[in-house]
Amino acid sequence: MEDIYDDVKEFLDKGETVAVATIVSTKGSTPREVGAKMVVTAWGEILGTIGGGCGEADVRREAIEVVRTRTPRTVRVDLLDDISSDSPAVCGGIMNVFIDPWWKEKETDG
Amino acid sequence: MDALVEELIRIKGEGAGAVLVTVVESQGLDGFDSGSKCLIRDGRIVLGQVNDQELEQTLLQEAAERLSEERSRLVSVETASGGQADVFFEAMPSPPKLIVVGAGHIAVPLVRMAKLMDYHVVVIDDRILFANHERFPDADEVVVGDMAETVKDLDITPTTYVVLITRGHKYDEPCLRELLDQPAKYIGMIGSKRRIKACFERFKEEEQVSEELISRVYAPIGLDIATETPEEIALGILGEIIKVRRGGKAQSLSQKR
Repeated sequence: MEDIYDDVKEFLDKGETVAVATIVSTKGSTPREVGAKMVVTAWGEILGTIGGGCGEADVRREAIEVVRTRTPRTVRVDLLDDISSDSPAVCGGIMNVFIDPWWKEKETDG
Repeated sequence: MDALVEELIRIKGEGAGAVLVTVVESQGLDGFDSGSKCLIRDGRIVLGQVNDQELEQTLLQEAAERLSEERSRLVSVETASGGQADVFFEAMPSPPKLIVVGAGHIAVPLVRMAKLMDYHVVVIDDRILFANHERFPDADEVVVGDMAETVKDLDITPTTYVVLITRGHKYDEPCLRELLDQPAKYIGMIGSKRRIKACFERFKEEEQVSEELISRVYAPIGLDIATETPEEIALGILGEIIKVRRGGKAQSLSQKR
């Protein structure tokens, strides 16, 4: 398991809200597996990876919104889109990424 | 969130198995909204609350399956009251444990490779000349003692993998006898087909061991990859362990006719 929660704790202790993005389902070939996570801060700083490339950049952009609004959302990342591009992240699959805001005082049960 | 993050860090430190349950989307379920979470450990909810008893049972059951599969998954759940939710089960399994009984020439490369794959490795032999940290610098535990007695006292769980590669079947067999009714995910034993058959017949006749228990044993040990050297045999054994762990399809020597 990744060492991501130590980082999350540091941000929460500083009073920051972060977005935890998790790949919850995939179809076809994707750069990382279900359960892979990355943390995005209000400033767009990234810890961990869900595979890099354009998909990750999309998720980062959405994650900044999630931090701002403190409302979770699911983002569908389609890696089929730019099959002709030179990006090394072209895998041909689709992944659904759940982006969840975490802050210190948030109740665990919704 | 504070308590949850601290619990997640503690679980990781202890190497305990747990499942983090997160609601991704839901309809018609009060207090079970997108982003709601609970943490399941040792078959119960240790953090977070679920109001619906039926739903709680569903979550616990699903979590147990995800943990034994060591695989995270998005699952659609429904309740009798007409509620529906997409729930993500994040499996955080405890690290797999490999117990190597017999510290001979196959054990050395086997332990090195298993450490490369992050197994918690225990080596057991009754000879201190073989079972020592100089010979196994990577091993997490090296135990010197009667092998069957030591095996009997081990804490064996569904994430434990046991390899019996002692210097002779008269040592392997008593160890196997101690292991047969344990919940290990994998038990493999070295030996020729003929000798293994004789051992299994004896277990069945003299000790009324069931066919079901015996069929769990991978013997002769390893994948069918025509191994020759100790290193290759070790690779075949580890390959078989990975097959069992991940649900692969490669042919084992024990399946070969």
